Amino acid sequence: MDNSSRDLRLTVRSDPKLLGAVRSLVRSWVDSWDIDEKTADDVVLAIDEACTNAIRHAYEGRCDGSVELTLHAEPEHLEFQVSDTGVSCPCEYTERRPLRSPDVEDLQPGGLGIQLIHKVFDEVDFRPGESGGNCVTMKLKRLK
Amino acid sequence: MGLTINTSQSSDGSLIRVVGEVDLYSSPELRKAILKAVPSAEGGLAIDLEGVTYIDSSGVATLVEGLRSAREHGTGFALVSPSPAVMQVLELARLDSVFEVR
Repeated sequence: MDNSSRDLRLTVRSDPKLLGAVRSLVRSWVDSWDIDEKTADDVVLAIDEACTNAIRHAYEGRCDGSVELTLHAEPEHLEFQVSDTGVSCPCEYTERRPLRSPDVEDLQPGGLGIQLIHKVFDEVDFRPGESGGNCVTMKLKRLK
Repeated sequence: MGLTINTSQSSDGSLIRVVGEVDLYSSPELRKAILKAVPSAEGGLAIDLEGVTYIDSSGVATLVEGLRSAREHGTGFALVSPSPAVMQVLELARLDSVFEVR
């Protein structure tokens, strides 16, 4: 079967009101593959965080941008892509940093979403989009 | 599914009961309720999260901000009966040990 036949492509406005609908769609797509429930929860969270990041940082809270999602399955992994055409995020912001139980006084919750994305997926690649903006590709290994 | 927030007072302190989904859209409402309740929460502030079916990093950041604010005001801050959905995200963020959980 063609690997792209069950792809899901979705374009949504950068409006936080729509995040609930995006989560429902991502959830049902992920549930159509053989993924355990806890992992599916984490994937939905991480995709939500990628969209949230586009809304908050790339579009700086504006609701009139567009966020594009692509969900694609390969035999070995599920691949998710979230892209925007907003302001490019600085590389240091999207780097992986250790998440440890910190002193609450030192806590910087601002970048927590990015760190959750790194934690959930096996491979994460943040890069500038082809025509500006940002594109994050996230891969989840499928267990046999 | 939206978010419902109820604040109540008892002799044990203040309680905010949260039901529904906490995300970028709804967390500002929760933030407002928590930061409003902290200064008058004699005996501490408890956040009941039993009915929370989803929470993202903006919701977690809101709880962290509430904890900080409570410390500044010298009052207690605890999470009550966090749902499995909440615990899963707090554990993923390694913040489960930061909060007092009842």
